[in-house]
Amino acid sequence: MIPMEKAIVCACEDVTVHDVDEAIARGLGDIESLKRYTGLGTGPCQGKSCLASALRLCAERAKAPRESLVPFRSRPPQSPTALAAYASLPELQPLPAVAPSAPRGPHPLMPRERLPERADVVILGGGIMGLALAWNLAAQGSQKILVLERGYLCEGASGRNGGGVRAQWGTPTLIELAKESIDFMGRFAQELGINVWLRKGGYLFLAEDEETVRRIEEGAAVQKRHGLSTRIISAEEAGELVPELDTRRFLAAAWHPEDGVVFPWPFLWGYADGARKRGAQIETFTRATGIEVESGRVRAVQTDRGRVACDRVVIAAGAWSPQVARLAGVELPNKPYRHEIVSSEPLKPFLGPLVSMLGSGLYFSQSMRGEIVGGMGDPKEPPGLNQTSSLRFLQRYSRALTELVPRTGNVKLLRQWAGCYDVTPDHSPVLGETPGAAGLLQMSGFVGHGFMMAPAVGRRMAAWMGGAKDDIFERFSVGRFAEGRLEQETFIIG
Amino acid sequence: MAESISFSLDGDRVVGVPGDTIAAALLRSGVTTFTRSIKYHRPRGPFCLSGSCGQCLLRVDGVPSLPACRVRIEEGMACERQNGPLGVEADLLRATDFLFPTGLDHHHLLVQSRLLGRVALEVARRLAGLGELPVHEAKVAKGELRTAPLVVIGAGPAGLAAARIAGAKALLLERDQRPGGAALLGIDPAGPDAAWVASALHEFPGVLLTGAEAVGLYPNDSGLPGNGLLAVRLEDKLLAIAVEKVIVATGGAPQPVPFPGVDRPGVHAARGLLKLHAQCGVRVGARLVVVGDGKELVDCARALRRAGYELARVVSATSELPPAEDLPLVVGAPLRALGDPVRALEIAAKASTERIACDAVALAWSPAPLHELASSNGAAAAYLPELNGSPLIVDAEGRTTVPWIFAAGRVCGLGGAGAVPSGEAAAAAACK
Repeated sequence: MIPMEKAIVCACEDVTVHDVDEAIARGLGDIESLKRYTGLGTGPCQGKSCLASALRLCAERAKAPRESLVPFRSRPPQSPTALAAYASLPELQPLPAVAPSAPRGPHPLMPRERLPERADVVILGGGIMGLALAWNLAAQGSQKILVLERGYLCEGASGRNGGGVRAQWGTPTLIELAKESIDFMGRFAQELGINVWLRKGGYLFLAEDEETVRRIEEGAAVQKRHGLSTRIISAEEAGELVPELDTRRFLAAAWHPEDGVVFPWPFLWGYADGARKRGAQIETFTRATGIEVESGRVRAVQTDRGRVACDRVVIAAGAWSPQVARLAGVELPNKPYRHEIVSSEPLKPFLGPLVSMLGSGLYFSQSMRGEIVGGMGDPKEPPGLNQTSSLRFLQRYSRALTELVPRTGNVKLLRQWAGCYDVTPDHSPVLGETPGAAGLLQMSGFVGHGFMMAPAVGRRMAAWMGGAKDDIFERFSVGRFAEGRLEQETFIIG
Repeated sequence: MAESISFSLDGDRVVGVPGDTIAAALLRSGVTTFTRSIKYHRPRGPFCLSGSCGQCLLRVDGVPSLPACRVRIEEGMACERQNGPLGVEADLLRATDFLFPTGLDHHHLLVQSRLLGRVALEVARRLAGLGELPVHEAKVAKGELRTAPLVVIGAGPAGLAAARIAGAKALLLERDQRPGGAALLGIDPAGPDAAWVASALHEFPGVLLTGAEAVGLYPNDSGLPGNGLLAVRLEDKLLAIAVEKVIVATGGAPQPVPFPGVDRPGVHAARGLLKLHAQCGVRVGARLVVVGDGKELVDCARALRRAGYELARVVSATSELPPAEDLPLVVGAPLRALGDPVRALEIAAKASTERIACDAVALAWSPAPLHELASSNGAAAAYLPELNGSPLIVDAEGRTTVPWIFAAGRVCGLGGAGAVPSGEAAAAAACK
């Protein structure tokens, strides 16, 4: 008997025509979603040998309109290039952020059907926050819930983060939110039917000077009081956990073995599917163009697919939230900052924990696919909605990583990208009602760690919207900035 | 100069000829399986033979996943095949391929049970990845910052034509060791050939860097004047060049089409085989089946015959039969490639299934435009089925949608006879 033979589309990642058909059947037939769902084009050749076939399949099988048939966004480097080569460059200078050009007209993939004339809740932003909220809200029954996403699912920061999830935070609220969320991630597959590959390899925070050592010691004390098993360990002990580290480059480390990494994209598909099954409507490639507020109350959302009357609007647009809030005449104090990430070639497993150098903001982990995925904060990054990649980042990241893990010098980088952090003045989120606009609810300001809080925030926000009492929606309200009661979080990396 | 060079593959001695790439030396010695695929452990061998695909990656002297088709052999070099924990030739993990005949859906694998999910996670983690972490620290030359008013990327017919017009102000980059690109393959007897390349180079007064691959085009954060910052890998050294203008003439990459068995060892890009023969004098057996469509099929089949191959059949996958009475043409859709390495191609001909015996299969569909360098910086590209890929959108002067990025040749859909005129037009516009 000759076994059935696979028709391979992408040889790097072993993606078959059958896989492509599956993705299309799930409504993920646009080229960016197809890439993320099947993995095609994410291997060593970065799509140079499969993109043409993939676009042909999109045209023929997904009946994608001609004007939508453009390549998925190409990411540098255009050919795998060693970390050591980037590290050897002199440091480059940050550039002022370029204002993104306003989108011209509706998205080529915008569905033609008009949106419903009425919904109870309209959620603006189909990232993990909005989708987690939709799934939880939909469980309450009766309400008509509509989620609007201007691009594909995963287009924003929820699809661009490094996948690190940790409970090691500096304030009790965030520790609780993260603990509950990580618990939920552990049973996400059973609840929502898709694997998110939570791997609890731990988080290792390295402290390179005495002041940072004091910081991690204080953090560990708070975390211990809230039931975490965080320990401060010596550089030598850290070297036993990750033998490739150059232990001369730091003094001590905070170690919490219950933290880990996930594969971010399936969270969005899982929540979206789950919410749809519960009756919520999720519309991609659809833009909100206005929010009507009359006599201090939200009345409707205008979109490029018609007006939707509603009682409540939730702004869950990540770094774009200030822009969206402005549609209702509301100013948020959040500022967007670019954050860049890079992924290496796939390597056999060698690295258990996510490692972060607190001072420099370097962090890296090994994904389930074997890639070293990491980033590094940039104190000189100017504010702005900027999602372009830079050579400056590759140089700084490569130098920092090869100094800390010298054996990575000949590891090649495959793909870099950028997303935007949604940064608030006190590094704590913006949640709850908006003064002067009843029914306009905020769900933003998560400073690059919203992804790992979303399961808990979504659950609590839905419960609060259903009438339950929950003080975080008072404490973190946007009114706090005017009233001067800030909620300072200090354990930010990147 | 030595007449032969010996190196090793998985500890066994292999002898090659000076100038051979690793891929050429291994194919010359009859090695066809270069690696195992990442998920199903399917056997894989070199496809494109031009550094674009990911099917020939080997560990070389302790460095993982280097393209065997681009690295030249050196005396004593140690090559190891990857992703076959028990040996790449008889990899037991190839059972994955048979156990999951329609594929393994990792998104929904064992989602019912938390416990089984954890087992799946542990197993999947251990099987993931391709190469092992390098053993040694890297030794690289120090990177450099430079400026250039005009960089021409790619020294094929379009890039050479552009550089010749632009003159001394142009810096010309070629990722191969030898400039010429498609002109060296002998595909179009009436088009530019090696002699044309030599004369174009002779007339170009500027600087040519070979072995120089443009790996990224970024906003210019160098502090030096220029519209963009071009990262160029020159052997193991990185140059960051602040550029006023660039002409992208990166050509195309050969494309496989998804039919069963297309990924097996013994299925190669027709242009890859022509390059292998032109560069290293190596042929993969004697008899080929060539499959593809249109002019590319006819041109490549004839060129392969000139390179010494016998043509078992030339299969036109579109119903139109190109006029070429000298070729053993047949209309048929490829159904499957059989054997490891491939020894036959099954096609759906008019009324029946035909099995054509061969030593290897050559695919001759148009190479897809290599738009990535320009499109990553915002230059628009759009899919055109007739060009088998997404050319950059340009005006009559080769200007892309980014004013300082120009394009010429196949990358903007002007390959073949269009390459030289498009290079000249782009250079004239870029020098205005």
